[in-house]
Amino acid sequence: MHQALWQSVLGEIELSVSRATYMTWFKNTELLSNSDDGIVIAVPNIFAKRQFEVKFNDQVRDVLKKNGIVTERISYTVKMLNKKVITREVVQSEQAITSPSVATSSLMASPMPINGLNPRYTFANFIVGSSNDLAYTACQAVAANPGVKYNPLFLYGGVGLGKTHLMQAVGNEIVTNNPGAKVLYISSETFVKDFLESIRFKKKGFSDKYRNVDVLIIDDMQFIAGKEKTQEEFFHTFNALHQSNKQIIISSDKPPRSIPTLTERLRSRFEWGMAIDIQMPDFETRCAIVEAKSAQSNIELSRETVEYLANNIKTNIRELEGALNQLLAYAEMRGVTPDISTAEGLIGNVRRSRPQYVTSKQIIEKTARHFQIKTDEICSPKRDKHIVTPRQIAMYLLRSELHLSFPKIATELGRKDHTTAIHSVEKIEKAIKLDFLIREQVAEIREKLYA
Amino acid sequence: MELQVTQENFTRALSNVSRVATNKAQLPILENILLRTDNNRLLVAATNLEVASSNYVGAKVVREGSITIPARLITEFVSNLPKEQINLKVENDHLKITCGHYSSIINGMVADEFPELPVIDKKTSIKYIVTTEDFKKAVSQTMVTSSSDSTRPVLTGVYWHSFEGKLYLAATDGYRLSEKYLIDTKTELSAIIPASTLQEVLRTINDEVEEIELLFNDTQVHFKLNETEITSRLIDGIFPDYRQLIPKTSETEIILKKDDFVRITKIASLFARESGGSVTISAVSETKTLSIHSIASELGENTSEAEAETITQDGTVTLNSRYLNEALSVLDGDRVTFRFSGKLSPCVLTDGSKSANYKHIIMPLKS
Repeated sequence: MHQALWQSVLGEIELSVSRATYMTWFKNTELLSNSDDGIVIAVPNIFAKRQFEVKFNDQVRDVLKKNGIVTERISYTVKMLNKKVITREVVQSEQAITSPSVATSSLMASPMPINGLNPRYTFANFIVGSSNDLAYTACQAVAANPGVKYNPLFLYGGVGLGKTHLMQAVGNEIVTNNPGAKVLYISSETFVKDFLESIRFKKKGFSDKYRNVDVLIIDDMQFIAGKEKTQEEFFHTFNALHQSNKQIIISSDKPPRSIPTLTERLRSRFEWGMAIDIQMPDFETRCAIVEAKSAQSNIELSRETVEYLANNIKTNIRELEGALNQLLAYAEMRGVTPDISTAEGLIGNVRRSRPQYVTSKQIIEKTARHFQIKTDEICSPKRDKHIVTPRQIAMYLLRSELHLSFPKIATELGRKDHTTAIHSVEKIEKAIKLDFLIREQVAEIREKLYA
Repeated sequence: MELQVTQENFTRALSNVSRVATNKAQLPILENILLRTDNNRLLVAATNLEVASSNYVGAKVVREGSITIPARLITEFVSNLPKEQINLKVENDHLKITCGHYSSIINGMVADEFPELPVIDKKTSIKYIVTTEDFKKAVSQTMVTSSSDSTRPVLTGVYWHSFEGKLYLAATDGYRLSEKYLIDTKTELSAIIPASTLQEVLRTINDEVEEIELLFNDTQVHFKLNETEITSRLIDGIFPDYRQLIPKTSETEIILKKDDFVRITKIASLFARESGGSVTISAVSETKTLSIHSIASELGENTSEAEAETITQDGTVTLNSRYLNEALSVLDGDRVTFRFSGKLSPCVLTDGSKSANYKHIIMPLKS
């Protein structure tokens, strides 16, 4: 209806002004809204806006009147694809001499809330796969009934796998369900810093800050290792909260028993509740992550591009997201479609910085060095336990990284029988699923291989 | 309208604003300059409906009034007059100009048809005051990488934006990219200023301008340089998330004297004309030499070497020598840090300093 009205207005104006005037000013205008508050007309730029306000306003009003619209207020606005919110303030470069006039200032409050939660992290945008569904379910349970079920909840796993995302999601969910709940999210580093300051400057309020919360979330707990006084303080904080059934959520890169120099009493407390590990997501989950993230930017990637990214970046999700963002930014800048060939060019760069080929010799040497045994020993017939496991891991890596045949693997490690290799590879495959230590060690060696 | 102005003031005002007047627009009046009295001043203004430039000149006004006059003719005429007092008098659609022994009558158009000049509300806009030196440096360093491809309008401007408390300028044409830190800021800004506008502001700067005041709102930007004011539309759209493309680390890092780098690049580019400017740069860490190789199948080929202060790792990359020349011409300092990772990753050029307020990125050629 707006469109038809405005078209008849324009039709009439076209007859009364010169063609140049009409083409310059009236073309590309639109009637945006027509209400009791007045009429809003969209114009292409600031020059047109000013021209309408000063020169054409009466004419527009007259013609509108003829079309049966009588209004007091006609306002003009510049058409924009994306409306931005702007804050105002006077800013001066250091050497500037004087400011001739002063604009009003209204400073924005800092966008980061004091509870440390980032509203971007929610359960809804966390992508669940077999590698993290246990953690996800536990976190949801905690968010639904804080302090009841798994307390403390201890999440562990490598970098960039979603620990922070999950913990933040718990916090956000609790705040959404119960806006009065006091949730505090900090990194263990902040805890240490606050504690040190409270000692050094005899500041008060340290225990208030940490003991009067309903949910305490501490990220990267491993950094507390070796700081005994802080651990003691944390121990008391922990007890105080736990006794009053307040929820505690902790994350770390290792399980409690693998954090060196963590005092025994803290370790046992961490193991009270539930300790869950988060692993690298499998291929399908990685694909889902790439798809979800690109959908957030309103870009649909072809199936093969998604698979290419998921296939080539296996280390962690942060890197995967980084590669995707890089691809999208590159495509936008160059004005090309983010297809597989663009991805190959870019991801190729990321991967090219690593050696293309790992040799079987390198695998054996690096494995031996990791366990601090000699290369000869690993290939010798010795069957001591401290040599057998590294040897099995080396076999597993030869299989998983180089896809060598079993007889070849056996020969590489001085074995005659290829069934030994089959057995070893299977054993480590199984152990990786069950034993955190083995998994960690394999991951570390792999890291070293490609470092 | 009748008034007197000095030739110096009037000719300066005319030359400041006349560049904006255009003969390409649909409205013939846009070829003209607006002259209008305003109390004891004369307003001299022109616009092409993207940018408007206006300049106030002190005048002895006898009778108020206004007129528009063809920009080129009046500008050239007045610039040739002696440095004396000029009398301006409007009679119907004509402007009579007399100055000493010279007098002429120029046919004009009534000022009613001239577009209204946009105004900006100081209360609702973001204001920055930047020294002329900082402004010139930052704008000329970034403008060089803006695009002239009108099918992608957002790239034809320079992106002024705040990021983590700092105001940055950035521009890219898809093949290269530059970013300059200007000043600290507490406000959130995101505005794309057309490169043509910035060019106009740079041309208007003279020795007497010590600082430039900028006012931004959602749709326009306003520059004030002493008595000259330039208002421009902003480019509507979202600038690419370019930060993703600046490599944080590189395999090969080379530090060398800028003069040396400029010389070998220029020489190599002579032989690169046939190949679209393509030159191959190789760094050898052992001998600390950076060499540029270019081939022209008809003419011959060239290899030039320069000694570097440091080279962290051997590497080779192929670049467009024109981009490299332009990058080196806008970099500060006597030394250049040049880093890259293999043949495909973006190359980064910065001045030799640690702070590196300016980053210039060039995409390698795929060969």
